[in-house]
Amino acid sequence: MSGLKKLISLASAAALTFSMCAVSASATEAYNPYNYDRWGDPIASQAGYTADYFVSGDDIGVGSLSEPADLFVSYDDLMYIVDKGNNRIIVTDMDFNLVREMKDFTYEGEATTLKKPTGIFVDQYTGAIYIADNENERVIKCDEEGNISKIYGRPDTELYSSDLTYNPNKVIVDKAGNVYVVVKSVTKGAVMFDSDGDFIGYYGANRVEQTAEVIANAFWNLISTEEQRSRTTKSTPIGFTNFDIDDMGFIYTVTESTETTTDLVKKLNPEGNNILDSLGVDNDFQFGDTSPTYYSIYAKNSSLTDIDIGPNGELNILDFQHGRIFQYDKEAWLLFIMGGTGEQLGTFRSATAIESYDNKLFVLDSRKNTVTVFTRTAFGEIVTEASNLYNDGKYEESLEPWLSVLKYDGNYRRAYIGIGNALFNRGDYREAMDYFEISISRSRYDRAYEGYRNEWIKAHFTLIIVVIIVLIVLLIVYGQLKKRGKLKFLRKGGA
Amino acid sequence: MLDLTQGQFVKHVIMHPFEGFEDLRWKKKGSMKIAFAIVCLLFIQQIAYNRLYGFQYYSDYDKIFNIVPYIFKSFILFGVWVVANWAMCTLFDGEGSMKNIFIYSAYALVPYITGYLIGTVLSHFLIQDEYIFIQAFEIIGLCWSFILAISAMKAVHQFSFGKTIALILLTLVAMVAMLFLLVLLLTLFQQVLIFIFSIYTELSYRFRV
Repeated sequence: MSGLKKLISLASAAALTFSMCAVSASATEAYNPYNYDRWGDPIASQAGYTADYFVSGDDIGVGSLSEPADLFVSYDDLMYIVDKGNNRIIVTDMDFNLVREMKDFTYEGEATTLKKPTGIFVDQYTGAIYIADNENERVIKCDEEGNISKIYGRPDTELYSSDLTYNPNKVIVDKAGNVYVVVKSVTKGAVMFDSDGDFIGYYGANRVEQTAEVIANAFWNLISTEEQRSRTTKSTPIGFTNFDIDDMGFIYTVTESTETTTDLVKKLNPEGNNILDSLGVDNDFQFGDTSPTYYSIYAKNSSLTDIDIGPNGELNILDFQHGRIFQYDKEAWLLFIMGGTGEQLGTFRSATAIESYDNKLFVLDSRKNTVTVFTRTAFGEIVTEASNLYNDGKYEESLEPWLSVLKYDGNYRRAYIGIGNALFNRGDYREAMDYFEISISRSRYDRAYEGYRNEWIKAHFTLIIVVIIVLIVLLIVYGQLKKRGKLKFLRKGGA
Repeated sequence: MLDLTQGQFVKHVIMHPFEGFEDLRWKKKGSMKIAFAIVCLLFIQQIAYNRLYGFQYYSDYDKIFNIVPYIFKSFILFGVWVVANWAMCTLFDGEGSMKNIFIYSAYALVPYITGYLIGTVLSHFLIQDEYIFIQAFEIIGLCWSFILAISAMKAVHQFSFGKTIALILLTLVAMVAMLFLLVLLLTLFQQVLIFIFSIYTELSYRFRV
């Protein structure tokens, strides 16, 4: 009897092992890693990041979190978790050991608390902490002990319309100490204060998407009266949802919208202009999923909710709708896609915020009340190395890493372009052409072909001249013979 | 005078855009075989233009290849042109028979096909900056064919110039109408086929039991 039991357990163990072997190496992920090819079709890929573990409030030792809203990794390697439901800020080190809990604040000697805070920013130049204190309708600037030094309240000006609410959602601060606040009800961009707390204006508004309806409205507005005009729908852009600032002072915004495609991700210069428009020719800037995902009959588009700028300038964009993270390099090339919706490790129910640190990504889930930690895989390391070298213009140094990327994933289009560019720079035009053809990048192929053709002409110059001269001589001889009627035998008989 | 073979007549017609088709008509020449070969060449040219063009200029979505659009762009479109033209010319008292319209129209296509084929070949030797040379061949071929087509219609129906232009415009309108009806017909037949097939399925289930 026990022999039979043993046999059964052995058989089932063997079956389990075989079934695990049968699936690919990425089976450790709870989702299928994919990437997009030249045509915008999803294509299976290797995982660039893998979900390592998750941390709950109890793991940190502060009791469970409640609707955490934001995550921030500061310059001094501290992690700030905005615990919205519990009206507190939790500060830990990068291994999630509790450093302090910020709950009680003092302003001019009086004790005060937060009410549903939703955003946090730590200024790397002054060390000051800025908290978007949502339902208290203020942004506070405090030190780590909770001593508030300044409050950025509702702007007292006609420019801030009286029918608008003022519930600061997210906050960032630039080098000059200007404070940018995202308020959900404001569609004109971020509300901007100077370092003294005075309202300056709005920053970086989105554009209105040019739909047929918008154009039609613009036409009717030309010919309608003032009264009629007041009754038509206004064309207002969708205000952006979240933003981040990089070390150079560029501000990146994301807009959570499933309906429009205009200005979903922007990189703003200090003037407030989007400079992602002026990058290379081959990139068509579509962020998130290229086509909606279908859940039975419902089509769901990506809804980009948070953006984070990584240490190498890579863009980590969080898709709330599908719980996916899209990582782009600083030239806005898609690197990896990871995550999904669900209960397993690496998937989310309500992904809210993303932060990066070194080779790790932290994703906050406001319904699971956890922080999930992703670590870069070996594949991810190589791709990151190669793409950093490539973006720095070190094409030839990037050749080796790109070649090993192809060993992991033969469908990784970026690698073919990288190898092609390295070969092109080295002067191997013929081989570069092959790689550019595989990666379907026409303009690069064109340049490689031009080089190849020039080389070919140079190498065969004498031959070309000889062939041309021989052809001309033959033509002259033929013409002369024809004139004298000596080619009659070549003509077809009868007419 | 003009004792040319059928093949030589093709060259003559193309090289003499204003007199060629009149000569063709006067000599009662024109070969159905050559005309059909030209339409086949048009079909090949359409495919070559999409699939064999130099990579630096054009790359098609190559995961699927569907031949139906190419058949449509060559055989069907040409056939519809011939039928529509014939139908219209009977209203205008034109003298062309359906066979002659087919032959004359096909002959007129030769420069277009040649221009685009030369462009396709050249696209393998030139770079993007030199696209203008390819474009020149293609545009010259197109314009040439256009002039030939007017001349051909004028000769085959013995029309004045103005009447020929009117005929061509009306032919285009008739083509649109015919294609619309064709699509309608196809859809209806599809419905009928589905109906017959469902009856067959029904019966086959009945008799199995």
